[in-house]
Amino acid sequence: MSDSSSDGGKWLDAHYDPVAGLYTFSSCVDLADLSGDGESRLVVGDLGSGLSGMKLKVYRGTALMSESTLLDLPAGLVAFFMDLHEPRIPAVAVASGPCIYVYKNLRPYFKFTLPGLEVNTLEQDVWQQAREGQIDPLTLKEMLESIRKKADISLSVRSLRFLSLDTSDMDEFVQLHKQQPVRRQTVITCIGTLKKSTADEDGVSCLVIGTESSNIYILDPEAFIILYKMSLPAAPTLMDVTGQFDVEFRITVACRNGNIYILRRESDKPKYCIELSSHPVGLVRVGKNVVVGCTDESLQGFTQKGKKLWRTVLPAPIITMATMDLPTRGFQAVLVGLANCEVQLYREKNLLSTIKTPDVVTSICFGRYGREDGTLIMTTKGGGLMVKILKRTAVFDDRDSAPGPPLAQSVRLNVPKKTKLYVDQTLRERENGLAMHRAFQMDLSRLRLAAAKAYVKALESSLTPMSSSLTEPLKMNAVVQGLGPSFKLTLNVQNTAACRPVMNLAISFLYDENLYRMKCSYMRIPLLVPGLVYPVETFVECTSDKGISDIIKVFILHEGKSSPLLTAHINMPVSEGVTLN
Amino acid sequence: MEVTMDPLFLAWSYFRRRKLQQCSDICTKILQDNPYDQAAWSLKTRALTEMVYIDEVEVDQEGIAEMMLDESSIAQVARPGTSLRLPGTSQGGGPTPAVRPMTQSGRPITGFVRPSTQSGRPGTMEQAIKTPRTASTARPVTSASGRFIRLGTASMLTNPEGPFINLSRLNLAKYSQKPNLSRTLFEYIFHHENDVKNVSVANLKHQKNLLALYCCFNKKLLFHHQALDLAAQATEHAQFKDWWWKVQLGKCYYRLGLYREAEKQFRSALNHQEMVDTYLYLAKVYQRLDQPITALNLFKQGLDHFPGEVTLLTGIARIHEEMNNIPSATEYYKDVLKQDNTHVEAIACIGSNHFYTDQPEIALRFYRRLLQMGVYNCQLYNNLGLCCFYAQQYDMTLSSFERAMTLVANDEEQADVWYNIGHVAVGIGDLTLAYQCFKLALAFNNDHAEAYNNLAVLELRKGRIEQSKAFLQTAASLAPHMYEPHFNLSILSEKVGDLQSSYTAAQKSEDAFPEHVDTQQVLKQLRQHFAVL
Repeated sequence: MSDSSSDGGKWLDAHYDPVAGLYTFSSCVDLADLSGDGESRLVVGDLGSGLSGMKLKVYRGTALMSESTLLDLPAGLVAFFMDLHEPRIPAVAVASGPCIYVYKNLRPYFKFTLPGLEVNTLEQDVWQQAREGQIDPLTLKEMLESIRKKADISLSVRSLRFLSLDTSDMDEFVQLHKQQPVRRQTVITCIGTLKKSTADEDGVSCLVIGTESSNIYILDPEAFIILYKMSLPAAPTLMDVTGQFDVEFRITVACRNGNIYILRRESDKPKYCIELSSHPVGLVRVGKNVVVGCTDESLQGFTQKGKKLWRTVLPAPIITMATMDLPTRGFQAVLVGLANCEVQLYREKNLLSTIKTPDVVTSICFGRYGREDGTLIMTTKGGGLMVKILKRTAVFDDRDSAPGPPLAQSVRLNVPKKTKLYVDQTLRERENGLAMHRAFQMDLSRLRLAAAKAYVKALESSLTPMSSSLTEPLKMNAVVQGLGPSFKLTLNVQNTAACRPVMNLAISFLYDENLYRMKCSYMRIPLLVPGLVYPVETFVECTSDKGISDIIKVFILHEGKSSPLLTAHINMPVSEGVTLN
Repeated sequence: MEVTMDPLFLAWSYFRRRKLQQCSDICTKILQDNPYDQAAWSLKTRALTEMVYIDEVEVDQEGIAEMMLDESSIAQVARPGTSLRLPGTSQGGGPTPAVRPMTQSGRPITGFVRPSTQSGRPGTMEQAIKTPRTASTARPVTSASGRFIRLGTASMLTNPEGPFINLSRLNLAKYSQKPNLSRTLFEYIFHHENDVKNVSVANLKHQKNLLALYCCFNKKLLFHHQALDLAAQATEHAQFKDWWWKVQLGKCYYRLGLYREAEKQFRSALNHQEMVDTYLYLAKVYQRLDQPITALNLFKQGLDHFPGEVTLLTGIARIHEEMNNIPSATEYYKDVLKQDNTHVEAIACIGSNHFYTDQPEIALRFYRRLLQMGVYNCQLYNNLGLCCFYAQQYDMTLSSFERAMTLVANDEEQADVWYNIGHVAVGIGDLTLAYQCFKLALAFNNDHAEAYNNLAVLELRKGRIEQSKAFLQTAASLAPHMYEPHFNLSILSEKVGDLQSSYTAAQKSEDAFPEHVDTQQVLKQLRQHFAVL
């Protein structure tokens, strides 16, 4: 065990396994005393690779105790007491897809499936016809598409999948699925627990689930029937539940439309609504207040009635959030995992401490692990598992750790001193100001003339690599690649007009035929759409081995005009290879 | 009666007056009469060598092969301040790229163009073989050409009917016994026969088959091997006590790319005899091995033995400059000037440093000093013009540029002069003149990324957004190391409402110049914009 200096020596590094292979989020991690021996285990719903390898893992101490395969990606995991039997052993509920799998003693115990949604009758009729062979897949597709456009009840997953298929795969799909009835299912997005009637630590809890169909269900823990149903304006993503079902409860839900809704026992509609300025990524309750982390790198605090209390800006985007609750010391704070490999601890808006981690932390869980009350468990983006124990002597100062004026204020600017030479020169300027001004103005007029002459000459012979004529505003630049004797010449031609295409253009080259050989020294350019860069490529071969290079001139010509629109000079590099001849 | 001079003496005299061609002609005549005249043979060898002699001590260019196929790199990400490849951003608190422009490799541009100051270490093969500018500047060369190439033509003219010494028939063992001949012969092989091109042409004319072609590609190596053989045998003959031969052996190993062996030979030579040259060679080896700190220590060790040696001081200054530590480089350049007050490189570097640290009046002094010393070229007048303008000596500004214009040697220089005049025009608010100047710069040098960038800004002021965007894109593709076009493109796209391209451009700008505050602000603003509902 070693003290890490970055967090002020408040944490003991109990365990770090960078290759634990745990890929999960905070919603799929929980701590529970699964065997009733007073020692807490870590229960993790591992997402595996996202397509396969989903597992329910249980850790004891530093070792993996058990592992069982999950059928689908877990959306959430909670441990809860579902009955009053002794010894008090909690069950584990894993939400994945439309189902909740309940494990007891780490064995599958019960599967609850959400009730199906209402299916569009038109859709049902269409599939019925398909089953009876009255319509072919193409007609089926047409009809389903028209239903999708018109109906207010959306299509089932099967129909949507069918519509996305290629024509060749449709027949097979219809043959495979037409016998089953059409069903519309929703999926679970978040899960939480709510004490049924007592506030005890080991009281029986109900499951609270949020679904994609914008509903919240509260399930009875023993019978697994829906006790209560509430609806929301949008699909929930994060949830926090407090209170008891039989007395009074409060469900705080962050939704996909960027709003936070607070639901109460009396009504099945949201009681309060908090409109955020950006999407929420974390929702945590501290005492009676709600702390929300947003994508605009900010942490905001709200009362339980939705009144904004404070807002603080973080140094990096938030990855995950968790609450840190130490009831024995009466300490509550928020742990925030950031994208810059830090985990910061906030009480209200004040930063208490920072933990530096070797990788980005994707899930945080704080609580009792083993026999130690203050244990912080984190998993990282690379699949690592980190366990830290809060020192009993650790004290968190409740003050802002970055007080006073900003650091930049005390940095001195490196302004060079004015030299004596400069002073002398200003003296000269003061004395001979008139003469200097006259000389400058005269030179300037001469220079303007010289520049104008050179400019006209360049324009007349179209020397510039861009033409500013109103009908064909073109631009070209050339790139030579290669070591020789073969070079690849790429001409990037671009039409810089706002909306008019340019046609009837050709490219021609002028070069020393003793030195270079070109496959085609005349090319036609296709129609140039404005704004796009057209690369025109050709190959040049250097026939000399004397180490000499020359200029190749490129002209862009317009059909029917003798003078080129624009010219580019390519300084060819020296050929460094030898030709085979 | 006319008294004729002894032809050998005359040849010797020509040699001392550096009329090498005449010297070689006379020696050829003597050798025709008496093919075994060792004195004439030796003299001719020396004359031919002198014609193509290059100072090996000077910095040389790293070729494409050395850069891209680097096998000695162990740590891909070296710690900052220990590697030349990863120029840390201004360790010594030098000016930022906002003030002092960058080269492709991410180093501030120097006041004095050396081979390694221009070509950066390209990130990808595609960048390596691309020629964004001309062959003379930004592109890495293969070690076959580079600077040996121009010298090649000279040596070809001297012996139109074949090489003077047929190396393949030489009995190296015999020559290595004769200390008088072996050294000249070695230098001849090393410097004169080094050129790969000449040999290959001669060979190809004789036998046109693939085998010959293969041989000629290896010819350079072959000759180096011969030089190496000779040096090795001579060293052996001198019972491994002759430092000169050890240095030559080291040089051969260096050319062959066997840096560790070269290091061993140079170290051993230093044990026998402390020489400035040996220190310089050894430092070169360390720079090639990307160990600038070791090279610096070596130079300092050399300075203990040869206090105030200019070449060693310059070496230290150059390494500091390459590692972006401009203030200490300037310190060492000042030390150089204390020893040798006509050192062009030191004056130019200090001058440019003063210019970019906002003291153009002092830079003006340094450049005037160069002018007094007889440096008389386009670049110098260009710098003088800019210094005058920024030091508010307006009466001399434009006349300096006019002088520069008359001294122009090639199109690139002309483009640079027009570009600088364009800057002056922007400074006095004459945007028409500025527009013309930047366009002229582009007419003379089609790849002038800076001119494209400035032109784009002018076009934007005129309200021609499409043109401006096209120019900025071109500038960004021509010079991805510059942050300005990316930043401008980002701002332009943001104004037009194309936030996605604005963001990507801002990110590129951040890559090129991480400390740029305005880019950071744009990025922050965009991120906020993306986060807000």
